[in-house]
Amino acid sequence: MIERLSHGPASVRGLTEPFALSQQMISKHIAYLVRARIVIKTKRGRESVCTLRPGTIKTVSDWAFNYRRFWEESFDKLDVVVNQMKMEVRDDRKHGERN
Amino acid sequence: MTENTVNEIERMVVTRVFDAPRELVWKAWTDPKYVMQWWGPKGFTSPVCKMDFRVGGKLLCCMRAPDGQEFWNAVEYHEIVPHEKIVSLMYFADPEGNRIDPAQLGVEHEAIDGAYDVTLFEDLGNGQTKLTFIGNEPMESAKNSGQMEGWNQILDKIAVVLAEMAQAK
Repeated sequence: MIERLSHGPASVRGLTEPFALSQQMISKHIAYLVRARIVIKTKRGRESVCTLRPGTIKTVSDWAFNYRRFWEESFDKLDVVVNQMKMEVRDDRKHGERN
Repeated sequence: MTENTVNEIERMVVTRVFDAPRELVWKAWTDPKYVMQWWGPKGFTSPVCKMDFRVGGKLLCCMRAPDGQEFWNAVEYHEIVPHEKIVSLMYFADPEGNRIDPAQLGVEHEAIDGAYDVTLFEDLGNGQTKLTFIGNEPMESAKNSGQMEGWNQILDKIAVVLAEMAQAK
């Protein structure tokens, strides 16, 4: 079911079809997924539409954004950049002395 | 006072001491030519960086993940004290710089209402500079480990759900 939802939102009816289960049974499972905060259920007209929580899909991929990590690792790179700039300033000064 | 409780939330703070004078660190932080070289986590590149560094101006930076996925960040400048302090607000944006909900990207962002990002540049003497970044989000360390735990919990829950589904068959 999660596999199906990873391709996009689906109605409860659409989710029932591939399984040899009653809609009532499927609804019960959807309720578990909603409670586990894996799926979001919304009403569209008379139909219930299920969507996978965005965080769930992303966490599966190899990279999840994390603010601390963003800054820590940006600072690592900034350190390299600043050191390079320092060298350039020194080189400029040397050239200045020569000229 | 209820207002004070907001300020009492422990903020995410990242500090670093650079072996370089303050003017240099400031330049690396405020010139897009250099920002492009350090913006983003390890393994990420920054192919685009547009910067209008002035109060009321904006930075728009693209970061490209190792898998090619691109994310755009915007930074609004609210206060600039040259060589000392920048008060700004960073958020996820579309390539045009319009703010987007981080949840759309699967990013959890618990921002503190009405708070800004503050970057401080301190001259430590001996040609060293201390850079402090105070984010407008609560202390992440707890959340960091929590994130992993959260995912484990989801996996556990999926396992339970799958077991139940198997039983129902």
